[in-house]
Amino acid sequence: MKTLLLTGGRGVNMTPFSKTRPNSMIPIGGDYLIDHTLQSLKSAGIGSINMVVGHKSEVLSNHLGDDHFSDGNIHVINQGKSSTIGSAMLKAKDRFAPGDHFLLVYADIFSTSNIFNLALQAFGLHNEPTALICLTQSGEKYGNVYLDGDMKITKIIEKPKKKAGLGNYVLAGVYVLPYRFFGYLKKTRGNMELALQQVLKKETLRAAIWEDNWLDMAFPWDVLAANRNIMELWNSTDIHHSVKLNETVIKGPVKICKNAEICTGSVLEGPAYLGPGSFVGHNVLIRPNTVIGSDCVIGQGAELKNCAIFDNSTVGRLSFIGDSVVGAGVDIGAGTMTINRKIDKKTVRVLINGKKIDSGLSKLGAFIGDGALVGASNIIAPGTIIQSEERIEHNFSVPKSTGTKGRK
Amino acid sequence: MCGIAGIVAHEDITAKLVDSIRNLEYRGYDSCGVALMNGSGVISVSKNVGAVDEVSEKENFLKMSGNIGIAHTRWATHGNVTKANSHPHSSGNKAFTITHNGIVSNHDNLRTELGKKGYKFKSGTDTEVIVHLIDDQFKKLGSVESAFVNAMRKLEGTYAIAMITAHDKGKIYCSRMESPLLLGVGSDANYVGSDFNAFINYTKSAVFLEDGEYAIVTHENHVVKKIATGKTVERDVQELQWDLEMAQKGGFPHYMLKEIYEQPQIVHRALDIDGAEIREMAKAAINQKNFFITGVGTTFYVAQIGQYYFSNYAGITPMVISSDEFRFLAQVDSKSLVLAISQSGETYDTLSALRHAKARKAKTAAIINVMGSSMARMVDHLVLQGSGPEICVISTKAALAQMIVLARIALEAGVMRKHITAKEAKTKEKELRKLPNAIDKLLNEQSAFIHAIAKKQSNIRHWLFLGRGRYYPVARESALKMKEVSYVHAEGMPSGFLKHGTIALIDDDLNSVVFTPTEDEKDLFKLTLSSAEEIRARNGYVLGIRFKTKLKQKLPFSDEIVLPKTPSFIAPFLQVVVAHLLSYFTATTLKRNIDRPRALAKSVTVE
Repeated sequence: MKTLLLTGGRGVNMTPFSKTRPNSMIPIGGDYLIDHTLQSLKSAGIGSINMVVGHKSEVLSNHLGDDHFSDGNIHVINQGKSSTIGSAMLKAKDRFAPGDHFLLVYADIFSTSNIFNLALQAFGLHNEPTALICLTQSGEKYGNVYLDGDMKITKIIEKPKKKAGLGNYVLAGVYVLPYRFFGYLKKTRGNMELALQQVLKKETLRAAIWEDNWLDMAFPWDVLAANRNIMELWNSTDIHHSVKLNETVIKGPVKICKNAEICTGSVLEGPAYLGPGSFVGHNVLIRPNTVIGSDCVIGQGAELKNCAIFDNSTVGRLSFIGDSVVGAGVDIGAGTMTINRKIDKKTVRVLINGKKIDSGLSKLGAFIGDGALVGASNIIAPGTIIQSEERIEHNFSVPKSTGTKGRK
Repeated sequence: MCGIAGIVAHEDITAKLVDSIRNLEYRGYDSCGVALMNGSGVISVSKNVGAVDEVSEKENFLKMSGNIGIAHTRWATHGNVTKANSHPHSSGNKAFTITHNGIVSNHDNLRTELGKKGYKFKSGTDTEVIVHLIDDQFKKLGSVESAFVNAMRKLEGTYAIAMITAHDKGKIYCSRMESPLLLGVGSDANYVGSDFNAFINYTKSAVFLEDGEYAIVTHENHVVKKIATGKTVERDVQELQWDLEMAQKGGFPHYMLKEIYEQPQIVHRALDIDGAEIREMAKAAINQKNFFITGVGTTFYVAQIGQYYFSNYAGITPMVISSDEFRFLAQVDSKSLVLAISQSGETYDTLSALRHAKARKAKTAAIINVMGSSMARMVDHLVLQGSGPEICVISTKAALAQMIVLARIALEAGVMRKHITAKEAKTKEKELRKLPNAIDKLLNEQSAFIHAIAKKQSNIRHWLFLGRGRYYPVARESALKMKEVSYVHAEGMPSGFLKHGTIALIDDDLNSVVFTPTEDEKDLFKLTLSSAEEIRARNGYVLGIRFKTKLKQKLPFSDEIVLPKTPSFIAPFLQVVVAHLLSYFTATTLKRNIDRPRALAKSVTVE
């Protein structure tokens, strides 16, 4: 089946990482989100993909190179100035023919099992437009559906207010739609929600319930959840033969890639991932659910816990990084602490695009954008966002720092 | 719902055809039959009451032979389950044989017309009317195709039909109007089916028929035409990815969830059961000196809920005895009525309770789902609940329908005994009519909340399910659901019991669910809340399943599932559905075998 993969969104809530990359280029479990999506599509038998790109598309095309999707082909369409899902889809209309049904995939969706198989099978049941639906605890962010006993969707309520008391299956960002859908999009000026309402009104929209894990990679803390989902499936340890281990204690399933090195006295508690060429100094404690990208340096005596560190970053000696996401090319000075819990133990709220968003997590550290520089001895409050390329000075106690922050 | 299958080939297809209806059994399984035609155009028909394997053995399906055939598996909604009423049906001279799914609404008129022309009817089915109608048209027109199409044009209502005929060997004629039918395209054979489970083992290419279309299928090709105009329709062959299990579940991940979502419709059907049947049952109940209700497992709790409805609305307290204990406890005599509740109508314990009662000359009655079952055949009074096949071992929709039927009987009995006025009963009936929508709303607006709570509490291994009054049997039934599907220990009891011993158990490892009555049931409401407070005072976790109130103060619950304001008459039923979802989501979180829990069987037919 022909496939339409939407990767062009700005991912505004994925701050500070959205400034430098599209959501599909967020690293999870040692790969990028796009790698997981393409792999799942391929194993669902999809050979040809029409990929709409937009925001920071150069990062994506650099990564994919020429032959990344070797068994099939990817046709790239630039969405240009399109700002909605529907208008981005319309840019790809010419790639489809009347009578076609196509698989529509939002590239921000992540699941460890193959959600596309279900979409294709469910479509096969009735040969009618199909939407995958799932349960989430944040139903107010999605289209809530009403189902009847035949799995027909009878109503869609978009982003209901919490007061409405709605808590049901939501649209999961994977559909099989007819070519006619472009017509509905045109009529509704590229409004995806209204176009789906047209399908409800004029034909049948079938649902299929996805019960396995499902994440919409919207907020920076979703990176941690995705890592955990991937790594909880690991049941064995995989250490490349080139890895140098010196009196390292390893517990639980870990993956350590080519040319990594861990010095004496370090402890690695799985599940954890250490990317190729990364260096872990002496007496480092790496606790479960930590993912360290390629060519990183972790200084002596540091402690890492439930965190993600993208490629080419450095964590200085005697630092603590917990429940945090550190971008690529970040330099964190010695003795830096991410504080990951509020003193009242309440859930941490994060300032995202000027709005305080409740993460729902009582343990949450910092999110440090690509290329940021954090001076030594800084103590970072729970839920802090440090923008990409931001520069934070050393924090001296003698003589006392002025505490000024400035951009490079 | 019934299942149709058909195969046209140039070699023997008997075994394949029997396999086809076996794969359609989930659509219904009270009787079945096959019709096969050999090369010289002789049609042999074999059919009987029972599931496919049972009938196949009894009637020697596999000893038949033929290269063209149609078959049917039935789930009766109207007309008894008898051999004569099973499909396929043939015309008098056996030249035409058909299977049919759907309801022909003008069959009475057609029957009279055909009767005048001398047609004799062997069965009470609308299907036999169709086959005679085709035969009649053939006599007039001399062409099979014209006869078939003309007959279709005369039918009103819904149908999916497959036909073979000696007058046009080597073909299956089929048609569709609001009942499902599609064609399967194979390399050396072609297929017809109610859905593709009929031929999924043979081909994955299909042609979908639309309403008002008919098709003529040979082993090499097929043609689709409009019934109204006779014009040929071009229809592409679709190559689809199919999965048998998933297809039967209609896209739901499990039968259990599918059946939970069918409940609004099932309640409608329970409410549409003819009032005369309900009245007859109510009369039987109040005319006897002793009135017993019996069931076992879920149906025992259904009977208990019924007991409260009889007490609250008819002013009588039936004796409710678990059917496995019936013969050790029940003193039945000729002045007793024993009402049995059973989904399958075959439950061993309940059958023995009925036999025990019959041996002592008691009157017997039953509320069951499977027409033609042992209980259906043996009792004096019968109400068929019409819930359709229930596949999941855990009973959800069937149990709910039984509760509704009992509540309706209790209301009738109440009016007959003048315990309530006819006006009061009418109000309650109106409230019952609101239940399907209320369930639909609950399923579609609260599932995620219930899922979130189930997930959060899925590490808990011990639960107390508490309720008072009519909510007490609801608590017990809900606890049983939790045990059956999630293998988590759950104990249902009256919340008044708590302080008489059980409260000693309260600690971090034991959660409680409190089924809270509506605010209008003042006494019950207050007493139930005080039980919740007792647990909270001991730092126990309490999940409240409650209705919206006007109260300002916070209720003593750790978590709560708040349902809209609901009339108290139907409130317990809504909570039953909440409990279905709670146990379902607990079980999916714990990755249990939802539709076939360990050690359980759908119908326990052994002692």
